[in-house]
Amino acid sequence: MDERNKQIAYKVISIMYFLTILAMQGIVLYRQFIMGQNYNDFEDIAILMTVNSVFLISALLYFGAIPIQKLKIKSILLIYLLFVVLGSLFTYARYNIFQSPGLSVGQLIDKLIIIVSIIGMLMGFWIVLSVLGQKRAEKELE
Amino acid sequence: MENIKLKIARIEKGYSQQDLADHVGATRQTIGLIEKGKYNPSLNLCIRIAQTLDKTLNDLFWYEDKE
Repeated sequence: MDERNKQIAYKVISIMYFLTILAMQGIVLYRQFIMGQNYNDFEDIAILMTVNSVFLISALLYFGAIPIQKLKIKSILLIYLLFVVLGSLFTYARYNIFQSPGLSVGQLIDKLIIIVSIIGMLMGFWIVLSVLGQKRAEKELE
Repeated sequence: MENIKLKIARIEKGYSQQDLADHVGATRQTIGLIEKGKYNPSLNLCIRIAQTLDKTLNDLFWYEDKE
């Protein structure tokens, strides 16, 4: 196996990985909206996809696939806000659009607090990984 | 762009694509694709090819811009 074979293999594996994730998302949507299954019935797939995405982003950050020269507070806050908004919209849609009766405002605020905390922890984890990744890269240069 | 320089250097050395591939640790297809200009080899592979054919990187992989 030479470098070209390896490149092709990596490309195929990446595409297959992406298609698998896409298929899993399709399965979740199909089960939820076509088969009308309860969330508990496909919770395992949803958790697997979430964990997978978190590890994927973590690995990309640590191994330097995402080019971060300098961690800027403004960018970090923007990404954090984006995740919070997306997470809130997703949660609102899940409980108050696709389920009835939906959650009350108080319950939604409780969910928002959970979202804000979890995303905060995730961002902290990713920042630590980015710093460690940068240190690893600099160590390789020495 | 087809890499004629590499093809000529290989033939001058009396190597087939398979011979060169064996020397540099690549496959015949990879050498063929490099010669046809359809695969960009890594710098490491370029160096191994140049050393095997007793040429410099410039001899094999450098092209002047045609204006």
